[in-house]
Order: sequence, then C-alpha cells, then structure tokens
Amino acid sequence: MRTRDERTSGAVGPKRARRKFRPRTPEPVQGRKHLEVQTESFLEELSDIPVVQEIECQTDSFLDRPETPIFIPSKTGKDAETQIDEGDLFDFEEEVRPILEILVGKTLEQSLLEVMEKEELAALMAQQRAFLERRNNQLPEVHRLQEQERRRREERERRMAEQKRALEEEKEVAEKMAARALTQQQLHDLVPSVFASLRREGYFYDPVERDVETNFFPRLVDDVQRVLQKKCRARELLDVLSFTPACRRVHRSGKILPQAQ
Amino acid sequence: MDPVAPPGLVGFGRWAVPLLSEQLRLPRGGARLRALAALADELHRPLRATEALNAGFLQQLKVLLEDEDPLVRAKVCEILHMLAAHASGRHALLAASFLPPLSELLEDPPCRRTVYLLLSRLSLHSSGGASLLTLLPKLMKRLPEEEEEELQVLLLSLLTCCFQVDPQAALRSDAVSLLAPKLSDGALRVRKAAAAAMMALSVPMAGKLQVCEVLPAVAALLQEDDEDAQLNASGVIMFTAVTTAGKLRCLHLDVLPVLLKLVCERHDEEQIRRRRKPLVIYALRALTMLAETPEGRRLLQEQLPLLRRRSEEEEDQDIQQVLQTAVQVVTFSP
Repeated sequence: MRTRDERTSGAVGPKRARRKFRPRTPEPVQGRKHLEVQTESFLEELSDIPVVQEIECQTDSFLDRPETPIFIPSKTGKDAETQIDEGDLFDFEEEVRPILEILVGKTLEQSLLEVMEKEELAALMAQQRAFLERRNNQLPEVHRLQEQERRRREERERRMAEQKRALEEEKEVAEKMAARALTQQQLHDLVPSVFASLRREGYFYDPVERDVETNFFPRLVDDVQRVLQKKCRARELLDVLSFTPACRRVHRSGKILPQAQ
Repeated sequence: MDPVAPPGLVGFGRWAVPLLSEQLRLPRGGARLRALAALADELHRPLRATEALNAGFLQQLKVLLEDEDPLVRAKVCEILHMLAAHASGRHALLAASFLPPLSELLEDPPCRRTVYLLLSRLSLHSSGGASLLTLLPKLMKRLPEEEEEELQVLLLSLLTCCFQVDPQAALRSDAVSLLAPKLSDGALRVRKAAAAAMMALSVPMAGKLQVCEVLPAVAALLQEDDEDAQLNASGVIMFTAVTTAGKLRCLHLDVLPVLLKLVCERHDEEQIRRRRKPLVIYALRALTMLAETPEGRRLLQEQLPLLRRRSEEEEDQDIQQVLQTAVQVVTFSP
C-alpha cells in the first residue's frame, strides 16, 4: 500500500491535485482492519501473478503436396471465335511495294551517288592525265624545233663570225704586206747610207791601226817630246850658260858689242 | 580493325552532324574518338559531306589535328580525306588553309598514308598544284627517308604533281640528285613513279641537262615489259634528247632499236591500240630527236621503209602526223 505522501506518478498540475484530493475511504479504526472484498456477482481471484498458460507448437517439415490446380473459373458467357485468313487484313504484295520502292530507291540512290563520286574523281584524274598527254605530245616537238632553231642560229652566227674574222685577217695581211713593201723600199737604201755614214764617222776602224794610234803613238810622241824637251833644255842650259858670262863680259868691258851677225 | 566503336547515339537525319560536332568539343578523349568514328561513318553517305561543310566545323577539325592522341589525328585525317572527295570539300580545305597543320602531320607515322592520299586528292583542284608547292621542301626532305614501297609511290606521284606546276623551283633545290637513287630502286612501281617525276623535271632546259646524267637508269627502265614503265621512260628520253648532249648519250646507250620496236608493234584490238597511243607517240618523238644526229639519221634511214609502211597502215591522225614529221626529219639533207 502506498502512502498518501508518495507521488503516484510524476504528474503535476490539476490532475495531481485532483488525484490528491480524491475522496478515499477513511483510515481503519484502531483495532480494526480494512479488507478488500469483491462484491461483484462473479468472483475473481485477484493476484499479482497473472495466469499464464504455456502452449507449444511445432511445425512439421513440409510435406510434398501437389500443386494447387490452376483456378479455372467456370465458363460464363458465350463462346465466339474469329480467324484471319490470307488477304483479309491487307494484301502483302500491294502494301509492301511502296516500302520496298523507298528502300530500294534510297539504297540505289545512295550507291549511285557514291559511285558517281568515285567516277567524278576518276574522271578528274583521267582528264588531268589526258591533258598531260596532249601537252607531252606537243611539247617535245616545240622543244625540238626551238632547239633546232637555236642550233641553226648559233651555226649561222658562228659562220658569220668566222667570215668576219677571215675578212679581218685578210685585211690585216694586206696591210702587213703593204707595210712590208714600204719598209723594204725604205730600208733598201738605208743600209748602204748607214754604212757610209758610219764609215764616215769613223766607227769602222782597223783595230791594229787604232791600237797603234791609241797605244803606240802617244808613247812615241811622249818619248819624242821628252827627248826633244831634253834637247831643248840642254840647249837652253847651254844658252844660259854661255849667255850670262857673255853678258858679264860685255858689262864689264862696257863695250858695245858689234851687232850680232 | 578499329578499336573504337561508334556510339549508338547518332542523331537521325539532319541532326547527325551537328550533334556529333558537339560531341567533338568534349574534353574527354574516348568520347571524342567515338564521335570521330561515327562522323567518318556518316560522311560515307553522299550528301552529308556538303552538310558537314555547311555546318562549319572545319575549324574544330583543324584544332583536333594537333591533338596528342595519334588515333584521333588518324581519324581526323580520314575524315578530311573523305571530305576531299568532293570539289566543294577540296575548295573548303584549301580555303581554310589546312596545309600547314597537314605538313606537320607528314612526320607522323599513322597518319602519313592518309595525308598523302589527301594531298593527291587536293592536287585535283585547280589551284591544288600551286598550294602543294608550298609543301615542296618538306616533301622533298621526306623522299630519302620513306621506306615503304606504297608510301614511296604516293610521295613520288605527289612530287610529280608539284614538278608539273613549277619545275624550276624543284631544280633549284636539287631534285634530280634526290630522285636519282629512286630510279635504280628495286621495286618496279617506285622506278615507274620516279621516271614520271623525272619526265616532269626534264621539261625546262636546265632540267634536261641535269637529267642527262641519269639516262642509263632510264634506258634500263625502257627495257621492262610494263607499259607504264616504258611510257615514262620514253617520255624522259623524248624530253632529254632535245639537247645535243642528251642525243649523243641516248645513241651511246643504244635505245634506238628499243624505240623502233615499240613503234612498230602492231596490235589488233582497238582498246590496246588506244592505250598504247601515248607510248607510240612518245617513242616516235624520241626517234625524231635522235634522227637529228648524223649517226641517228643513218641508222633510221635504213629503217625508213618500215616507218613509211607503218605510216600508211596507221589510222589515228595524231600518230600519222608524228610519223610524217619523223620521216621528214630522217630524210632531211642540208
């Protein structure tokens, strides 16, 4: 039994208040004890321990059982049937024609276009090749004729140059011959006159004569001169030697000499 | 062989190309590659190409040409190749100045073949040859380095195109000495293509003198059985024999009997005759050149009845004219 002071629950507020002030049976008088008694018609045994009944159950392992048959509801209503024969819905041949036409047409178109593209490329290349061939057909002829022209022109020019050179050489030769004739003519008299003038100038000499003249004669003349000088000196000396005494004698004698005869 | 599967989501009809070009702008590599593959498939349809050009995504493709992924670059080259199949495509490609980035790609192994094919298609355009000239130095630099036969043949045909437009520029950059080893290469196709290039080079005078040096290899090519080889070789001889040095060299190499044999072969079928017509004309012109030398004239005068008989039998006007010129030159006396 709970005392009044303990709180029966954690409630606060009016409920608690109500519960607190709920009228209860008064306390038993001294020496008496209150007993709770059931007054209903059917008596219950009150106990804290509830009546518990234990029942066990265990399932057995599953037994094979046949499958439940399919639920076939019973037939209701009327039976009706229908059947599609060939040609009922549509005619395949007719219907397929436009589809086929489109399919085939598109495929053909695409393939044609692709083939045309390839052919276009091939045609371009063939055209290029044809142009090249035509060009190569005519071009070497042009080159050959050009080359021929060039060769001929060169030949012509060479010949003309040669001719000119030949003419010039001839002219030169003629001039040379004229000059030679002239000089020959002039030189013809030249040599004798040169010789004559040389001889005149005394460039041709007899070496012996010259040698005699240059070496021998001077010495000879010198010698002669010396001898003559000596003689002359001797005579002078003699003169002096003979003159001075004669003069002295004359001077001393003071005579007038007869005129020298 | 493509490791890349095209995406399933390709727009239908008119939307295909714009949607794909949107996808091309995506930064992720895988999506881009798939979009490119789908574009390549789409462009096989004939009218899509014009659509694509009108959609104006060439600039985008140009940016993609410089992508790091080599597969992307290869795919873009393929797409450009397909675009170039149309005249408007070629025009647009040339106008949008695709040549500089393409010339970078010449160094790139997976794209090289497609770039060569693309350039040969571009040369079909009227100003294509002139634009290819800007690439001439690079192409000539690639010539000694190319190893595969097919690529060599493609490169040589491209070079022939360039030479036909402006042989002088090529001669200045010493083309003859670059081509000379190709003339003695092992494969017949390479030799044929090299001879065609030589023929284009020997049109100007300076070229003729330079090509005189390689005449022995050309004479060897003349002996082959292949008609194209004979055509190209006789073309080279025809052009080179205009100069005196060339004439003497050719006589020295004894090509006269071979040329005579080429001229006098008779075929019954119209088609074979038509196919051989340029060959016969070239050989006749070469004989005319050689007949201007005294020795050649003497040799040909012995064959004069043969030439006369051939001239009577021949139905084609051009060949008859050429034959008559030849006969005139042979019977010329100063």
